[in-house]
Amino acid sequence: MRQVRQKIRDKCKREAAIWRVRALPGFIVVALIIGLRFMGQLQFFERLALDYLLRLRPSEPVDERILIVGINEADIQRIGTYPIPDRHIAALFTTLQSYDPAVIGLDIYRDLPIEPGHSELVQAFSQMENLIAIEKVLSDRSGFTVNPPQGLAPKQVGFADAVLDSDGRLRRSLLGTSVDADTSNDTDNYKFSFTIRLAETYLASQGITLENGIRDPDAMRFGSTELNRVSPNSGGYVGADDGGNQVLLNFRSGLAPFRIVSLEDVTEGRVPEAWIRDRIVLIGITALSAKDVINSAAIDGVNPGLVYGVEIQAHAISQITSAVLDGRPLLKTWSDGWEYVWILVWGLLGISLGRIFTSPLKILLGLAVSCVTLTGVCYSLLLIGWWVPIVPTLLVLVLNGTGLTALLFYRYQQDLKSKIQDRQLIIDRTFDSIHNGPLQTLAGILRTVQERPLSPEQLYLDLKCLNQELRDVYESVLGEISTQRDSIILSPELKLDLTRPTHEILDEIYTYTLARDLPCFKTLKLKVTTFKQIDTRPLTLEQKRGLCRFLEEALCNVGKHAVGVTRIDVICKQEQNQNVIRVIDNGVGIDSSSGTAKTEGRGTQQARELARQLNGTFQRLSLIDTSSGTMCELRWAAVAVRMKDEG
Amino acid sequence: MNQSIQAMPKILVIDDHESVLTGTVSGLRQQYPQAEIVTAQTAEGAQQQIERTQPDLVMVDLSIPQAAVESAQTNTGIELLKTLMQQYPTLNIVVQSAYAKALARLKHEINNHEGGFTVADKSLPLKEMLARVEWALQGLVYTPKEMRTGLEMKHEWLEVLKLAFQEGLQDKAIAERMQVGERTVRHYWTQLQDALSVYPQPGKNIRIQTEMRAREEGLID
Repeated sequence: MRQVRQKIRDKCKREAAIWRVRALPGFIVVALIIGLRFMGQLQFFERLALDYLLRLRPSEPVDERILIVGINEADIQRIGTYPIPDRHIAALFTTLQSYDPAVIGLDIYRDLPIEPGHSELVQAFSQMENLIAIEKVLSDRSGFTVNPPQGLAPKQVGFADAVLDSDGRLRRSLLGTSVDADTSNDTDNYKFSFTIRLAETYLASQGITLENGIRDPDAMRFGSTELNRVSPNSGGYVGADDGGNQVLLNFRSGLAPFRIVSLEDVTEGRVPEAWIRDRIVLIGITALSAKDVINSAAIDGVNPGLVYGVEIQAHAISQITSAVLDGRPLLKTWSDGWEYVWILVWGLLGISLGRIFTSPLKILLGLAVSCVTLTGVCYSLLLIGWWVPIVPTLLVLVLNGTGLTALLFYRYQQDLKSKIQDRQLIIDRTFDSIHNGPLQTLAGILRTVQERPLSPEQLYLDLKCLNQELRDVYESVLGEISTQRDSIILSPELKLDLTRPTHEILDEIYTYTLARDLPCFKTLKLKVTTFKQIDTRPLTLEQKRGLCRFLEEALCNVGKHAVGVTRIDVICKQEQNQNVIRVIDNGVGIDSSSGTAKTEGRGTQQARELARQLNGTFQRLSLIDTSSGTMCELRWAAVAVRMKDEG
Repeated sequence: MNQSIQAMPKILVIDDHESVLTGTVSGLRQQYPQAEIVTAQTAEGAQQQIERTQPDLVMVDLSIPQAAVESAQTNTGIELLKTLMQQYPTLNIVVQSAYAKALARLKHEINNHEGGFTVADKSLPLKEMLARVEWALQGLVYTPKEMRTGLEMKHEWLEVLKLAFQEGLQDKAIAERMQVGERTVRHYWTQLQDALSVYPQPGKNIRIQTEMRAREEGLID
């Protein structure tokens, strides 16, 4: 039991260690995105995503509580003048009142009399209590406001000001706001919007009154429905202007969310009575020439992006009445903390894709599935009213997912490259093994045969030895390539760990090579060696292997060519900041024994290549000052002088 | 050499055979009645004992098991020796083994080891075995000839021979000339004497023996 727990703990620890290293870039990406969002760099995209998802929603049924009477181009042309004279408006009121609507909202500015018929309109205003008109309370660029029509009680006036986002689009609905007392003659300087006035009047007719919020005392509430205020950082907003009491607009989706009739429809009696009785009737201009339009990308339509002001009012009123009476969701957001947790979670998922899957294709597939899932989840949440971050989450997911995929592809490429290198290495090493082993023996035999006839027994023994060496080549190459990257295999029995200090390995190479059956070794009487620590830390294992092969080759040459050798000196040490590997013999030597110019052999090529890699020098020369002998030397700069293992 | 070590050495004997252990220990008792002798049967046990008792001398059988349940392997003994020589560079060691050739793998370590190092075949008579123990305690080196192929010398050893026998320098002067410690020079002597197969013999001066052998081999003029 304890073991199992220990095992699990170990596994967790290992996993944590892997994550710490591998997931670091992933966490940096998450931090970066969170930082960008925090600075508001993503809010533009987050709002676009909100608009897009809102547009994607399935159509909702027509809100039958609202009737829009839109004064369109045809109406204007029929009346023959614009603005519409007060008389026509007053007549419209009278006609509508005859059907007994719950409330009539006039979404047309009437601060100044537009004759003829102004007195009729004033009379209508003073007589009809269920009539609400608009004013403009927030100063426009030039500092102007628009007064309400004359003759209306304050309760019958609501402001029509809209709060636009920085991209010029409307996503919020202003329900109430404080107005500077100086610029307003009203004693009460808190103003309610046209929207809330209409909703209030309509809901009051249903017995539900406007109260202060319970969760948020500053919010407005109808019954159990609290209208969540927008805060500066709500949802995708960062540092939004939250002046007054604003709510997010949950537009009613669909191509025809409200019934719209024209002024003529009403005056000609073409509108069914049921469409008006006990309903909210909104009167506004639905003619492009009147320029009462608002930008919104969240509403589908013939002319998406441009919506008549009166339609926006309908959406704003509808979202309140539908929420209160039908339980239709209002848009809500999470607190900032939860939003960042949400982003982090998806970021982690993106990182774990690379941990779970190993092939790039699978990661991409997983990424696609995750993205679809994320979008689906965000969409579903929006359907029930939650606006959750989708842009930053998609970003962390995709960046982490594709980042890891790219990394994997890179690793793949590297693997492929190293495989090709490995193959070249196998070829090189195979030849090296053959060259340093059987070929040397063969050369020894050939040399001996040239000098004196070999007895069949001796020849048999030599050939047997050659046979064995050739067989060993396969095993040694196989062993070196397959598992033993960090070791050098001289014979099936002798495997040297290349991570050991170089001088120790070279000492063993020396011992092994001198024990080989090479003709000239037989005359050796004295071997003098120095194997001292050399600093080979900057060398790769492959270069260390090269050093081993160099010494082996140099010693083999003595064994083959140094006829009559009696003494051999092998030196591996540091000399004046240079690493030196030197083999000196007192035999006859290559040049004087063969007498002819030889082509450069494989061994010499190897040595030259190694010297080039080490930025050092290689030389093989006949010693002229003594009677005979050859010196073979490889020297290269030592990186650090460090003498520890003095022998 | 320290007199107290000579009289009351602390000895650790490592062998997995109970009978061999008993025989070796009783032999050692005759020679060193006051010695503190401890035993171990596995490589792991040996390392614990060494840490605890800090012995002057360790007698190692090459073929021993790593832990109690495992089987005896020559490799285990070799690895143990390697570790010991690394961790305790001045520890005196006697290797008891029938296969001295396996020790060739440790040649480099043995050459660098500063303590005594002698090899005693298990078939040796007790008297000679005890002599090898004594040599090891004196810090000498004895390796069997099979471990070597011909005469193998180090450049430093040749230097020591030259300075001593051609220039007549004493160890102290040799040390100065070679820029090493006197201890190192003594270490060179024991190593090169082993290479020349010169070992202490009663009534003979070992330095003169060494000089004679070196001239014989043509190492000095």
